[in-house]
Amino acid sequence: MPVIRVSLRDFERLVGLALPIGRLRSELPMIGLGWERDDSEGFEVEVFPNRPDMLSPEGLARAYKGFIGLEKGMPHYIVKSSSINVNVDRDICEVRPYSVFAVVKNIPMDEEVLKSIIQLQEKLHISYCRNRRKASIGLHDLDKFKPPVRYTVKVSDFKFKPLDYDREITIKEILERHPKGVEYGHILAGFNKYPIIEDSEGLVLSMPPIINSDYTKVDVKTRNIFIDCTGLDWKTVSSVLNIMVTSLAERGGEVYKVKVFYPFETPFGIVFDSPDLKVQEVKLSLDFVNKILGEKLTMEEALELLCRMRYDAIECSRGDILVKVPAYRVDIMHPIDLVEDIAIAYGYDRIKPEIPKVFTSGGESYLERFSSKVRLIMVGLGFQEVITDILTNPHDLFTAMRVKPEPVVELENPKTVEYTVCRSWLMPCLMKILSRNRHREYPQRIFEVDDVVVLDENSETGARNVRKLAAVSTHSEADYAEIRAVVDTLLKILDVDFCINSGEHPSFIDGRIGFIEATTGENLGFLGEIHPEVLENFGLENPSVGFEINLECIMRLKGVGRKP
Amino acid sequence: MKFKLSEDEVKLLKILKKSGGIASVDRIALEMELTSDKVAALALNMSLKDLLSLKTEEDSVITLTDEGLRYAKLGLPERRIVDQAKAKRILSISELANLEDWEKAIGLAWLKKKAWGTVKAGKVEVSGEAIKGVDEKLIELIASEGRVYVSNLPSELREAIDVLKERRLIKIEKSSTRFISLSKIGEEALKGEIEILEEVSRLTRELIISGRWRNVVFKKYNVALPSYRIPIGRLSFVREVLDYIRQVWVEMGFIEMEGPILEICLWNYDALYVPQDHPARDLQDTFYVKTPKFGRLLNQDLVEKVKNTHESGWSTGSTGWGYHWDLEESKKTLLRTHTTCLSARTLATLRDAELPAKFFAVSKVFRNEKPDRTHLCEFYQTEGIVVDENANMKHLIGYLKEFFKRLGFPDARFRPAYFPYTEPSLEVEVYYPSIDKWIELAGAGILRPEVVKPLLGREIPVLAWGLGPGRMIMLNYNLKDMRELAMNDLDLLRNAPVWIG
Repeated sequence: MPVIRVSLRDFERLVGLALPIGRLRSELPMIGLGWERDDSEGFEVEVFPNRPDMLSPEGLARAYKGFIGLEKGMPHYIVKSSSINVNVDRDICEVRPYSVFAVVKNIPMDEEVLKSIIQLQEKLHISYCRNRRKASIGLHDLDKFKPPVRYTVKVSDFKFKPLDYDREITIKEILERHPKGVEYGHILAGFNKYPIIEDSEGLVLSMPPIINSDYTKVDVKTRNIFIDCTGLDWKTVSSVLNIMVTSLAERGGEVYKVKVFYPFETPFGIVFDSPDLKVQEVKLSLDFVNKILGEKLTMEEALELLCRMRYDAIECSRGDILVKVPAYRVDIMHPIDLVEDIAIAYGYDRIKPEIPKVFTSGGESYLERFSSKVRLIMVGLGFQEVITDILTNPHDLFTAMRVKPEPVVELENPKTVEYTVCRSWLMPCLMKILSRNRHREYPQRIFEVDDVVVLDENSETGARNVRKLAAVSTHSEADYAEIRAVVDTLLKILDVDFCINSGEHPSFIDGRIGFIEATTGENLGFLGEIHPEVLENFGLENPSVGFEINLECIMRLKGVGRKP
Repeated sequence: MKFKLSEDEVKLLKILKKSGGIASVDRIALEMELTSDKVAALALNMSLKDLLSLKTEEDSVITLTDEGLRYAKLGLPERRIVDQAKAKRILSISELANLEDWEKAIGLAWLKKKAWGTVKAGKVEVSGEAIKGVDEKLIELIASEGRVYVSNLPSELREAIDVLKERRLIKIEKSSTRFISLSKIGEEALKGEIEILEEVSRLTRELIISGRWRNVVFKKYNVALPSYRIPIGRLSFVREVLDYIRQVWVEMGFIEMEGPILEICLWNYDALYVPQDHPARDLQDTFYVKTPKFGRLLNQDLVEKVKNTHESGWSTGSTGWGYHWDLEESKKTLLRTHTTCLSARTLATLRDAELPAKFFAVSKVFRNEKPDRTHLCEFYQTEGIVVDENANMKHLIGYLKEFFKRLGFPDARFRPAYFPYTEPSLEVEVYYPSIDKWIELAGAGILRPEVVKPLLGREIPVLAWGLGPGRMIMLNYNLKDMRELAMNDLDLLRNAPVWIG
């Protein structure tokens, strides 16, 4: 989640109050911000992804002023008319079709304001704009170019001077060499025409979503800003533009609309005014609020709390509230979102805990209950429990065990070669643990009761868990007799009738491997003396013996259900 | 009266008798050829039978200084002068033999002081007998014994202590001495009839069944010696915590949920109203699976509802996310990233008649992380849900307070948070007195209507909360590296203190 840095002096200027850092440290988290750190200059807070409107000191101050009751209700932003037009070319619709624009004039620019604008743009890009894929923002000095503006496409040998460059380079060069081109070029991959915003004289403003031009760069002397916002989704581009514009308006900037001419029908029409700071209206019932919160708020209290969260709210009919949601709030999808805001304004710390007197019976699953019992038996037999990783790799799972690889659940995108598949049996995991503990005291007797994952075409997900038990004993005297005694004792206690058949398993010494078969004919597992080559593969120097048993088979034999 | 004593006990009594009823531990140890500690232990045991008594005396021990040792061998300087002068009655100082120059000065001074003679014009004249003094006797005694105790000295010799101390011929140091004295019962025992008992080191079956144990004494062990390690079997300390958590849920009336480790996106994400372009669904964060790549969608009705909810809110009263929901995406397989998919599966099969109901899970979950000090790619998570028509946020906070109290955190506080599938959402912080800090431990909230309605068929406030117990375990066992939870170091597993809760 994005973290923003705020200068304390700037924040005090925006709120209009002297604010001790200790006060902010206790109050801001209660609005729904994660306090990261603070120093003498300022502080850093984590902004939740549902509140991109708080990604700037301006937005933060706007919310905070409401929370402390300094400014209540929905902020009203005046949008003036300008004569600036934007013409959108038809060719753009294949590449990056959606675009909205705005102008903000007379911004009281200084270092802090510039820093905060750039920070907001960057943080919106990485979070809400999904790394510029869904939307991207360009900011331009209005006084450095000549409207009307055209949103069009160019081919790859088209040249312009990208931001902070001293010469013109081609689009191709930008995509191949410019750091931003390398980072975001994938968004335009597969196209042979590239989005360009230019002025009436062909001066380039930007190449969305990669880079702005150097000609219209915004700096500390800029007073009037032209904003473009382009992307793949109408809702996102207009939300992002509204957040940018209202943030600048909080600084004292004057918002002007521009006329956008589209070659095709849009949700706003073919020709529309931008920005569209349209207010969303949501109906909220007081009963719903009180039902969710478990409180008994009066209508007046509810209205007051909504106003403190910067909504306009009126009682529209008996028990119903009409809530006006400002254009910068992009997270209100359902009345429940307003209920949360009421709870925040009310104060989470003021909600009194209550435990309902409702009877429900609890219980462990049969699988876990049975697993616990088996673990206790193993502990009584002198074995130490281990809990190993379900993720492993084919080398440990098969090769090191001298077993022929078989299909298992395999990861699409592993980050390390160590973890690429899900285990299909437990014993290799125990061997791995022993190899890590070579220098620990002997004898070492370890066991695990846990799931393996096996492919199963008949299941909904294509695989299923199987609960297994495996144990290994390693020390200078370990032999088949020892592990046979363990298996015999365990199965006797579990009341399973079984016999041991000879057979073959490459992980074990030939003639010292037994297969455990229930008298009903089910194969329960195996036990034996581990092959010296396997020991060598895991760097073990002592004879080792082990067994592995399918616990779900035993549960079936015993008639233990799987549901509690 | 008949006394049953061991051989050593008899020996000790006899030594005491011989030394007049009292002797120091050290002296007895010398005679018995045992260490002083063993004698003291023996005596302590006998004192319990009132055969003797023990006491410790503070005393001063006198030893000779280097100069004192020299005089003990050669005689005091004044004695040597007198002896030489006696033969001639008058002796010139220059004729004095066997004295260092510094000794001559000392000797002459003390000769005069002791009035053994006079010194005039470089000549020594002896007068009187020059009888051997107590100072000389004391030096002789110390020289023969090596060290003497002040309390043992005859009063006559004690008079010499001050002079010799002043002449720096002796050193006096404080010391404590343990004394054993024979009691009345001890004396009677020596006079009376004694049965010597055999000392044995091991109680055997033979001793018990023959009753012979009555006639033996058991050799005393040094019970403070360290022992050897028992090769025990134990549960993992991680399991102890997981079992404890499981027990807390059950105590609070929750039923355990289970489900597949290999999940499909539908249950892990879509049913939880996580939009398909949500960053958590990126390859960067989620382990997707190559084989098998897709699962099957068994509940077409649910799929339709989920699709509509994502796209336009369906009948939930929500606007939805407003994008085109891709069916293929929801079939993709992954390793479950949280236990919430279990809650989704549970809600989808829950019948109205079963309400109110509570469920929990304690299970492994997976994230596409490279394991390091603070991350693991697989770890445990636990979560619970309360499905109750009348549930609300007050209940949620009530349940959370109770849950964390039972987990050992009586102080829990709550602040707003964000999760895609809950609203309102809250973060739970608990107070750790040991580090005097509030620690973020859990997330909680009420499931969004967009989650509940497609799964359950109607809108009910479903309370939910969950946490990864890893942090709790690390703080409790003072582990600094998360990988230690999965390392299975046998030393740690064998020696970790039991989890009390």
